Amino acid sequence: MDMEHRARAGTTAALHLRLGSFRYSEAHSDALREIEMEFSPGSLTVIAGDSGSGKSTLGGVLAGMLPRPGADQCEGTVTLAGQRIDYSPELSPRIDIAGWARHVGLLPQDAGLYLSRIRQTVAEELVFARENEGMPREEMTELISELSTRLSLEHLLERDPAKLSGGQERLVALAALSAAKPSIIVLDEPLAGLDSKATATVTAMITRLRAAGTALVVLTRTTEAWEAEADALWTLADGTLLPASEGTGTAALPSKRRRPSIAAASAEPLLAFAGVQLGYKGASAPVISNLDLEVHAGECVGLAGANGTGKTTLLKAAAGLLKPASGKMRVAADAGMLLQNPSDQLFERTVAREIAFGLPKKSIQRARVPLVLEQLGLESYAQTHPYELPASARRLVALATVLVREPRLLLLDEPTEAMDSAGLQILHEVIDSVFERGGAVLFSSHDERFISRTAHRVHQLS
Amino acid sequence: MSPNLLLPEASATQLLRRRVLGAAGTLLLVGTYLFLVITQPAGIVEGLGQGVALATFAAYLIAAVLLLLAVLPDLPVSALTLIPVALALNIILGQFVGSVMVPLYLDSMGTVLVGFLAGRRAGAATGVLSTLIWALFAPTVLPFAAGAALVGFLAGTAARYGALRRPYLAPIAGLVSGVLVGVVSSPVAAFVYGGTSGVGTGAVVAAFRSMGDSLLSAVTKQALISDPGDKAIVFLIAALLVFALPKRLSGSFEFIRRYKVLGKSGNK
Amino acid sequence: MKRRIADLHPFTVLCLAVLTVSVATAASRWWLNCAVIVLCLAVGAVAGKSRKLAALSGAIMLPTLLSLLMIHGLASQETSAVIAVWGPILLTLGGVEIAMALALRTAVLVVAGLLCGLLIDKHQLVAAIDLSPAPPQAGYLLASTLFLLPQMMEKQHAIGEAQALRKAGTGRGLAGWLQRLRLRAVPLVLSSVQDAHDRSVHLAARGFPARGEHSRLRQVADSQIQRGVRWVALLCSVLVPVAILLPLGGAS
Repeated sequence: MDMEHRARAGTTAALHLRLGSFRYSEAHSDALREIEMEFSPGSLTVIAGDSGSGKSTLGGVLAGMLPRPGADQCEGTVTLAGQRIDYSPELSPRIDIAGWARHVGLLPQDAGLYLSRIRQTVAEELVFARENEGMPREEMTELISELSTRLSLEHLLERDPAKLSGGQERLVALAALSAAKPSIIVLDEPLAGLDSKATATVTAMITRLRAAGTALVVLTRTTEAWEAEADALWTLADGTLLPASEGTGTAALPSKRRRPSIAAASAEPLLAFAGVQLGYKGASAPVISNLDLEVHAGECVGLAGANGTGKTTLLKAAAGLLKPASGKMRVAADAGMLLQNPSDQLFERTVAREIAFGLPKKSIQRARVPLVLEQLGLESYAQTHPYELPASARRLVALATVLVREPRLLLLDEPTEAMDSAGLQILHEVIDSVFERGGAVLFSSHDERFISRTAHRVHQLS
Repeated sequence: MSPNLLLPEASATQLLRRRVLGAAGTLLLVGTYLFLVITQPAGIVEGLGQGVALATFAAYLIAAVLLLLAVLPDLPVSALTLIPVALALNIILGQFVGSVMVPLYLDSMGTVLVGFLAGRRAGAATGVLSTLIWALFAPTVLPFAAGAALVGFLAGTAARYGALRRPYLAPIAGLVSGVLVGVVSSPVAAFVYGGTSGVGTGAVVAAFRSMGDSLLSAVTKQALISDPGDKAIVFLIAALLVFALPKRLSGSFEFIRRYKVLGKSGNK
Repeated sequence: MKRRIADLHPFTVLCLAVLTVSVATAASRWWLNCAVIVLCLAVGAVAGKSRKLAALSGAIMLPTLLSLLMIHGLASQETSAVIAVWGPILLTLGGVEIAMALALRTAVLVVAGLLCGLLIDKHQLVAAIDLSPAPPQAGYLLASTLFLLPQMMEKQHAIGEAQALRKAGTGRGLAGWLQRLRLRAVPLVLSSVQDAHDRSVHLAARGFPARGEHSRLRQVADSQIQRGVRWVALLCSVLVPVAILLPLGGAS
């Protein structure tokens, strides 16, 4: 019925979007409103916004995945590949997402979600969509060799897609996306959580795609890495777009920490490892051997090292989840740990219940729940389901469940992952408040800026 | 020239084909069951025994596969990605329960969950698939596929008619489903395997046998003792899990929205 | 030899297993059943899986055997020779014979079925299903479940650790058990349902499920001979039992 709307699009733009409003089903306010943009071939458009600002929603609309017919309410028009699609609150057309994906590819923030997880090798994963189209085997073999040379992926072809690192996952997903030669690729946080080497490879791939005439749209928290390259810079705030110059680029972070708090070195250590060996049952070699580390009250120690050097293992041992195979470990204070994946720690129906979980009814800790909510800026979320929060706030909820017990030793595993600038600010305050109580912080991170700003000293693992 | 951005409507011949397959599967299942109950083949090992065993095995398995073929092409992708999760949940939660020595199976948790979230067709498909895949590790479960399909189908039906709008309705629906499932599955246990595969359930069957019951009625009585209780608990737990899901997620299932499974637009 | 077995088309292995089970069940001779079991174990040994096969089948057959002995050996209405008496409970010869015959019959199914599961490469099976006329959803569901299981087991472990960190789920008795079940199940179900939901839209974008013809990059080795063997095996697994059973049924 929408066929009559097929317009001869007069512009050269690959996609033109005019969005009056977008509202999720069950939501009480619009996630997006008053947005108009178009993308021309080979351009790079950067859209910055905080966690929860509607970036991913915008990405979903561009990729034809939102609105879901019969659920979300949307008013607007998309012109793509010479066809005009009209959305109205009464009627959302049933989009053929696969057909749409041949024009617009979307790389989600968690690239692992894009991979099918059911193929044994990367080569098979690359042509998953082509298999569904029924492309003959010979053409697929050609496509794979062409893709892998163009994007230099030869070394990955025979690998198991389930065992790739975060950066490699993104490379493979990007290559699979571009196999359909879409005219637009939308990238949601393409560089988040990558170390500098992986960042370079992903950026190189993006440059190659752009050179081939693909229009790129980058959704990101900070524009920093993109300012030099971008054709257009936008800021997404309150569900609407502003030219980036009007918004502030990044919130100012606290200046570098000066020195450890008073008399740190003299005091009894809160945590001490001496010649400790750590490993998992059944594994042939220990993850960490000969570890010597002391953490004193008033100190903030960062753990650095590449993936697989045992940062998480060390933190788990300090939290009491893992017994050392040999050596001496002493924990002189009660420890609280924030896991890398906060969702594993959450199971209640509202944030307030989540934080109060397991605390006796009339205890001092129970009375502190509202205080902790306020400290972490979560008051407005108290009655929300933890899973409906943006990633950054969800991590703060997990942190709140730890803080409410006032641990003197705070252990943080990759605390900055998916954290927006407001969240980072709160994280800094939380770390300071631990020192005020005479406690200590031990954390692991890939984020070099965060390490240099926060840690008094860095323990390098290899 | 460019590919379509909009979806075509489903054609009538496809619909007819699925209806026919579904009807054939149901007929085969019901027919086999009625035949077994009415004729009550006597010899278990000698003479007709093997024939009945083979025929029951084949008929129940084929019926399950027909039902699967009838529903699979209709399922939306959101239901399809949910099914593997449900199958894994059947196994993992079943194991957790097994590890603490509670006398329940709870091995249909995932199936019931899919029935609640995605409707009876998805539930039935989950039941069959769960059995087919589980059979790679334990081949004896194969002919129970039809019973598992029934569990999923009944869970979806119960949800559709409001069993999730009040928490206490779910276990009642489970109880009723358990009776039906127990009755339908017992001929398999009796005629294919000559009893049951568990020591505890075997003792119950032996007790009924020693009171003079026929094998089929002894196995059916045993099933009527264990199944309803088990399904009542599974339905209750699955319902609580559905309540625990965030609204945006549960609301994304068309089945939940269309039949107002969680009550008026999910206000609680 | 090991290579030869691994190179067989998955469907050929399955068809041969169907044939074996149906013929052995129909014939119902103890020596045939025993021979089939020994043969399966031998094939397993050649493929280097004999230990796993024996352990898995033992775990299934032991409780089944006990249960059958109780049902038929103790409580049978048979009036044959009594082997042992414990008060009101009689162990009869006829009962034990029936129980053993039933157990052997089940054992053939168990051993042959498990052997299939061990011999067939999961990825090859998925590819074979994808290339067959079965609906395209079937292959995905099988593949996804098989690869999801280990991941969810890991997730389950991570959740257990997270609970331990919060010192949750230490209660005792029925309430404690229910609490532990809730603490395990809720995050597992929540995160995996959410994950499935997030994943589904990307699968749809990649054209899944295929609406028309679909192809696979992976090749599944097949041959004219194997195709022939499969048809003959399937045909025989229907005809042979009928041939064995019909005269018997007519006579009795």
